[in-house]
Amino acid sequence: MTNETQDPDLCRSIARRDFIMRAASGTVIAALGGGLYAISDRLTREAKAQTRDDGRPRVPPGQRVIETLKPMGGTPGDPSRANFKLRVHGEVKSPYELDFAELMAMGPVTVRSDVHCVTGWTMLDAKWTGVTVKALAERAGLESTARHVIFEAAAGYTANVRLREALRDDVMVAWDFGGQPLRRPHGAPVRAVVPDLYFWKSAKYLTGIRFVARDEPGYWETRGYNNHADPWKEERYA
Amino acid sequence: MPDGGAQSEAEAPASKRRFKLRWRQWLRALHRDFGYIAVGLTFIYALSGLAVNHIADWDPSFENFEREYVVETPLPTDDDEAAAVLVQRHAGIAEAPIDVYRVTDDLLELTFEHRTLHVTLSDGKVFEEGQEPRVFLRAANWLHLNRGKKAWTWFADGYAVVLVFLATSGLFMLPGRKGLLGRGAVLVGLGIAIPLVYLSYVGSP
Repeated sequence: MTNETQDPDLCRSIARRDFIMRAASGTVIAALGGGLYAISDRLTREAKAQTRDDGRPRVPPGQRVIETLKPMGGTPGDPSRANFKLRVHGEVKSPYELDFAELMAMGPVTVRSDVHCVTGWTMLDAKWTGVTVKALAERAGLESTARHVIFEAAAGYTANVRLREALRDDVMVAWDFGGQPLRRPHGAPVRAVVPDLYFWKSAKYLTGIRFVARDEPGYWETRGYNNHADPWKEERYA
Repeated sequence: MPDGGAQSEAEAPASKRRFKLRWRQWLRALHRDFGYIAVGLTFIYALSGLAVNHIADWDPSFENFEREYVVETPLPTDDDEAAAVLVQRHAGIAEAPIDVYRVTDDLLELTFEHRTLHVTLSDGKVFEEGQEPRVFLRAANWLHLNRGKKAWTWFADGYAVVLVFLATSGLFMLPGRKGLLGRGAVLVGLGIAIPLVYLSYVGSP
């Protein structure tokens, strides 16, 4: 007995067996936990049963519904509304610049829309207050050459959206989220909101809207992410 | 030979052996020294990689906070600076604001370096939100994502080349059964198989 327990080969063998058993137990517990989590995801289950007015499912494939926005990083800009300026320029007849008061004076609208992040989460019925990109474009007067919109943001961030998608009624620049001023992690003071594309297109810390004739892939689009970003087609990567 | 001497048969294997020893010694020395150089950047890229990989679960660069409270009223509606001083006094904030901005008749905004106070003047309600940078991770993420561009692109490229050298030189460090002809081959195969199996399982991009 004593000799057996002191046999180094046997000790190593027992230790290895012990390790494998513990690792296997850990894996089984983690898998069961993940399974239970998936089964208990009521929000996603209920939303997946719904259909949008355009006939598409409410929740795009590969998405899980959560209750609120996640910050998702990015290089912050100046969060002060006092210093805010939005430049509307490019292929337009009358480029202009607005401060925060002038932007608000354009007549805010409140829109509820779903948000879909490329990392796999979706938030339903996010409430945004702001001005539509369509209203901003009408004020500038689009040239017939304009085909794409480039959202310009702090630290050189850009995101490109096709013009006809950017001029939808629910695409906007927003300063309130959920009835509260937009928080810093979510792009204060003003961000873009493009509900039907993955959320990286909704540039935070917005500084400009540029209308262009030729498409210009933006920050993430030049780093391997899809140029269009339709969540229903799972256009996540290039 | 340039010096006119001829190599004897007995000398050849010895010089071959010396060459064999010498290149492995050189490889080991280079691997060691480049490895030392790579330590700092490896920590930066690895820790930042872990942090950013889980960006859907947390903010890797900032700790975010928000709270709501009520300060004593009345607050002056005709003097923004005076209202700001009163709000700060009630909220216990000594730091001077960067901006005091009247958003609407009833809404005053106080911007500080790491927080913003949105004050409803009529009822004294304050919505405070802000973010404190995670000092190391914010800098590491900034470097890892090459947000600054400029010369860092060169350092990042150099680091990538050093990693390729470390991986390649590591293959030939050990001779024999624990080297590339034995256990090393199995482990290298495993390392190559993991991404291939993953890609074949989930589908390529």
